[in-house]
Amino acid sequence: MKCLLIASESAEVLFQWTDPEFQQNVQEQYGASQEEGHGLPAFEDSISTLFAPIIISCSTMVDRLCDSYTSFTTENNHIYVLHQFDECLYIAVNGDGEEGEGDLRRKIYVMKKMIEVMFGMVTLSSNLLRRELRPQDTEQRARLWKHLQSLLETYSQLRENDQSFLVEAVERLIHPTLCEQCIEFLERRLVQQLNGSVERAGEEVLHAFILIHTKLLAFYSSRNASSLSTSDLLTLIIMAQNMYPSNIDLDDPHPEWESNLGLPHQRHVSYPLCHPHQHLHLCVSAADKPVRGSTPVFEFVDPDVQMAEDSLQALEVPPPAPSTPRRVFLEVSLKDGLYPMMPHSMYCLPLWPGISLVMLTKIPTSAVAMSVYMFLEAFAKLEKRLSEGQEGSAASRGQPTIHDVRSKLDKFIKALGPSEIQSAQLQNVWTEFKNRAFSRGGPGFNRDLIPWCKNMKTQLCGIYRQCFLIESGKADIPQRLSPSLQERAQTMMQEKLMDWKDFLLVKSKRNITMVSYPDFPGLIHFICVDRSTGQMIAPSLNITERNTSELGKGPVAQFIKSKVWSLVSTTRRYLQKGYSTVTLRDGDFYFCYFLWFENETGYKLEAGDIPILPDDSAPIGMLAWDYYRKLLRYYSKNHQGEVVKCYELLTVHLGVIPTEIILQHCRQLASKLWEPSRNPLL
Amino acid sequence: RYRYNINILPSSKCNYFFLYDGSKVKGEGDATREGICYFYPEETPLDKQELLCGQLAGAGRCVSELSASPVRILRLRRNNFAIRMKDDFFWALGCSAEVPTISACELLDQLINLFCFYNGSVRQSYQLYSQETLAARWAQYLSHLQSGSLELQHIFSCLRTIDSTNVDPLLLLKAALILQACQRCPLVLAGCILFRGRVVSTQMSPELTMKVMVHESETHTKAPSTFSSFGGVVSSTTVFLTMSELQYLQSAPVDKDFRYSHRTPHKNTSKKKTRLSRTLSDTPSTESEPSDTGSSQSPLKGSFSPHFSDSSVFSPDPLDSPPPPQPLQPPFPNGKLSPEAEEEALEESYYYSFHSNEGGVSQLHNEGDSSLFEGNSYLNGGGGGGGGGDGDAACGAVFDFRGAEESHHDTVFTKEASRGGCESVQGRQAEIPDPPPGSGASDSPEECPLVPMMLYLHRVKGLVLALLVEPHFLSDTASMEEVYHSSLASLNGLEAHLRTICPGAPDAPRPYIFAHFDCIQSTLTTNLSGRPGGAPERPFVRATSLLHSHFCNTETLQEAIIRSAGAAVYGSRSVAQETYFQQHGGSLRNSGIPNHQDSAFLLPSKARHRLLKHGVNLL
Repeated sequence: MKCLLIASESAEVLFQWTDPEFQQNVQEQYGASQEEGHGLPAFEDSISTLFAPIIISCSTMVDRLCDSYTSFTTENNHIYVLHQFDECLYIAVNGDGEEGEGDLRRKIYVMKKMIEVMFGMVTLSSNLLRRELRPQDTEQRARLWKHLQSLLETYSQLRENDQSFLVEAVERLIHPTLCEQCIEFLERRLVQQLNGSVERAGEEVLHAFILIHTKLLAFYSSRNASSLSTSDLLTLIIMAQNMYPSNIDLDDPHPEWESNLGLPHQRHVSYPLCHPHQHLHLCVSAADKPVRGSTPVFEFVDPDVQMAEDSLQALEVPPPAPSTPRRVFLEVSLKDGLYPMMPHSMYCLPLWPGISLVMLTKIPTSAVAMSVYMFLEAFAKLEKRLSEGQEGSAASRGQPTIHDVRSKLDKFIKALGPSEIQSAQLQNVWTEFKNRAFSRGGPGFNRDLIPWCKNMKTQLCGIYRQCFLIESGKADIPQRLSPSLQERAQTMMQEKLMDWKDFLLVKSKRNITMVSYPDFPGLIHFICVDRSTGQMIAPSLNITERNTSELGKGPVAQFIKSKVWSLVSTTRRYLQKGYSTVTLRDGDFYFCYFLWFENETGYKLEAGDIPILPDDSAPIGMLAWDYYRKLLRYYSKNHQGEVVKCYELLTVHLGVIPTEIILQHCRQLASKLWEPSRNPLL
Repeated sequence: RYRYNINILPSSKCNYFFLYDGSKVKGEGDATREGICYFYPEETPLDKQELLCGQLAGAGRCVSELSASPVRILRLRRNNFAIRMKDDFFWALGCSAEVPTISACELLDQLINLFCFYNGSVRQSYQLYSQETLAARWAQYLSHLQSGSLELQHIFSCLRTIDSTNVDPLLLLKAALILQACQRCPLVLAGCILFRGRVVSTQMSPELTMKVMVHESETHTKAPSTFSSFGGVVSSTTVFLTMSELQYLQSAPVDKDFRYSHRTPHKNTSKKKTRLSRTLSDTPSTESEPSDTGSSQSPLKGSFSPHFSDSSVFSPDPLDSPPPPQPLQPPFPNGKLSPEAEEEALEESYYYSFHSNEGGVSQLHNEGDSSLFEGNSYLNGGGGGGGGGDGDAACGAVFDFRGAEESHHDTVFTKEASRGGCESVQGRQAEIPDPPPGSGASDSPEECPLVPMMLYLHRVKGLVLALLVEPHFLSDTASMEEVYHSSLASLNGLEAHLRTICPGAPDAPRPYIFAHFDCIQSTLTTNLSGRPGGAPERPFVRATSLLHSHFCNTETLQEAIIRSAGAAVYGSRSVAQETYFQQHGGSLRNSGIPNHQDSAFLLPSKARHRLLKHGVNLL
């Protein structure tokens, strides 16, 4: 019995996902309180009614006590976890004992991360985000929600079955030679050719990588690209997996895709990140209610599909043409700073079932996003200083200075003028802001300016939305790599990997196996993670009938798997409270966990203080929120001028093995796995 | 959004506690304040009280409806609330987030159970008494549960016991024997002996003992009935037992109870012979022998001899056998010999003689005890004897007072047949008048019925004998007198000895900290100083609290070592105990990478070795 709900402060449902049990539960309860004969109300209404008291109580608590609910647990062990991001309240529920409080909190953060990757800086304006998550048009809403639901389900499935999503680090396919060949191919052949083509429509391939199921075979970033963060990479893998799911980890003994080889195996309906063209209503004041004209026009679907959508079955839209990229917002780190949520296009090209090529391109207008972000940050800082009570020049100081911002913003608005982007509203608000802040005899910089700061931020988010979330009105020049270019990339890659594909698919299931470790008697399993690069290695832990590992299949393997999963959550709890070494004797097993730091040359650094975090802090991991990046920054304070690396090792041994031997094993694994080449010696 | 809270110090204090009665706030116009039965801290502004009560109870009800189950835990960012929802009542106990949730839940349950123990059902109490009266009681129970200097005590919700390392084991044995002697009166269910707020010996479950201790530790405001004839040292109050508590007391009175407070002393006794123990053992053989009819045949006599070599007689076996609640001694009031008692004569005589050496019955005890306890005991003993004599005269009046007490005994007595097949059952039933049917105190049919009993307290300075007795015990002049007199001298003697025991010089600082929790007895042994601001002990307390929660949640977990930059703590648990150990000093510098020479991994063997001298056996 599971549920995830996003609600606005006024208890409006912005998104909901429930499993069938929860849905049934809600319907039964709601049905009981309904008059006979009225029929069941729309599910969305029932869920909103049932949760409304909690949601409203939550905002009362925030307003009046400056505290809020973080969780409820009932006597029958149902868990409700609540978290508020700005004005959006997330509620995750579990009633079947499969998820704990930590899992639910993680789910909430992952959901938020996925929304950020999909909507970018629009998430910074609660008003705009609310309208984005809950389109007026019910069909459009249903499609969007279905897409988000499917992403959430894909994530949950990966978290439950895939070790790399358990520890939130990327798993590489261990085959150094092929890996190197592929990187070279991506660099010299593929990316060079694409970026040299005129058919790229101004886009530039920054990153290209090959996924074998969820594992990374090769990753190439062009020279002028910033590095892709682990958090973003993991999210992209979820999205790719959602587009072309590999059923191999499921307990489905007969995956069908062998019969329809070559065709993308589609399980979920995907929602393209393009919005119907519509009149823009940038002003978000209540009076301005969006008016929608005719039926929305989808640029990427042909008229036949458009018709079908009017019927009820239309919710099962066929996927968009593969050539349509997805707009994703990813973090970019440049010399002058970190820019979160910069627009990119994501091309996911299926090569064979289970194998795909993913390319991320920079779009021509991305400079606008950087400007918008800079302005947003300036207004946010100003707002913060004003609300702290600073006034006048004390408030307007800062980097960049408000006068700097003023001239830049003037230029920015001027530049927007001739474009399609509707900037009149922004201009009006900016003029008013300037009148108040800068004019002689005006109110100047004081608390009264705070609402105008907020308004400016909303307007800027609106511009950002127009630029990056809505396809440009004219369909004549599509902003994307041309389909033929994409096809060429696909074919090139297929030719390159043709001889390897069967091997790769098997290899991805048996990346490394415990058989490779005969020198470690009693060692059952281990996971080693390099947190500086966000990569992990672990013996494969397959529990399906088709793929038996040395652990055998069925209940024993399942039992070990559940032990490993619970060990990870246990050690995270200790890490959250500042413990970096944990050993546990649990039943017939002995578990170890170590976290340590090294410098670049592999010298082990002294263990330092690890911050103690409150229970409701963001989950420890790298997907939704990069704990380890913060940890490294925190630790590096005392190691200035040194590159610090962070590693984790988890082991599962038989309990009968003497502890000294177990610790020797751990030591050997720790030093062996990440020797200078960074390629595990196997 | 991201805060580093390096220096969070765990605080065990409860920040909020309230009881909210939803039935008073049903209509639209009802003010939330109508439903607030009690709110702590009491000085909280009323609007904040209303806010917390209204919001928490409202959200809690909504969640419990969605899940069809009452809410148990509610977390805010800064406070964790343990919740109880029953009927229309909503209890919430808020602790800071550092307190393990499991401990907060235990604390709330203890609080509610305490209230019910002394007042009966909550609903009924609020019908009978004023809100102010009951508020004072909640406050009293809350402050009682929060007292105690050690945070560890709150984490484990343990029973506070006297420091047995400083007390001669024979004194513990003596206390246990006093209780056994009292139990010979069939109206006495079980008892405990407390000294200055700490348990010396108990026959009750730890939970029940904890409840009884509240009454002892603070003068109960309920104006307990005192009995002037006993110099105001005896008092009583009505208490309410749950059916399961009652069944536990009635079903296995000896096997469970007698065993545990005795075993340790036995072992110790055989190991070390303190001067006091020699005195104890020497005197009775010379002085009390002539008057002690039973003791001459007692196999235990030998055990008190200075040689003391044959410690086998102290094996717990005789104690494990059921005590003969049916007294053989003639002075026992309306005592009847059941035929079965005769059949077990051998065992009983063995047993009896053992007892009559100590806090035996009636006349015997005066001599026996006074001789045992030398000079001052003579004084007390004499006084006791005198008191007994006066009591005879005054008793009538005093006990009549009790006669007016409501006759609460109902269905309870019929359940007594379940008293472990003890032969005494028939005897007891014979002497108990048929209970008036239907006069029970069980509140409502759906609630777990509470059975009224009496708590009898006999205070000798800092020492208190607390007995749970059948309600009509106090109207049974003979029984009461019997119990009073049989224990008086022994109590005096025990008090005199306990009083002279100096608290013991604080342990020389040891290079380690440990805490050992006995889950069965709910007792904690530790060398933590408990000084406020014991900074070096913080990491230990924090680790212990985390590990304890982990042990509670994971049944299969047996051992754990956790290490932060500042401390490595080893935890180990079995069905019966949890032990935590931290070694001071040594090199804490480590790189965090696996290393079998790391001192952290030597903790288990160090703990095993070091804790032996504290009586902790980690196998």
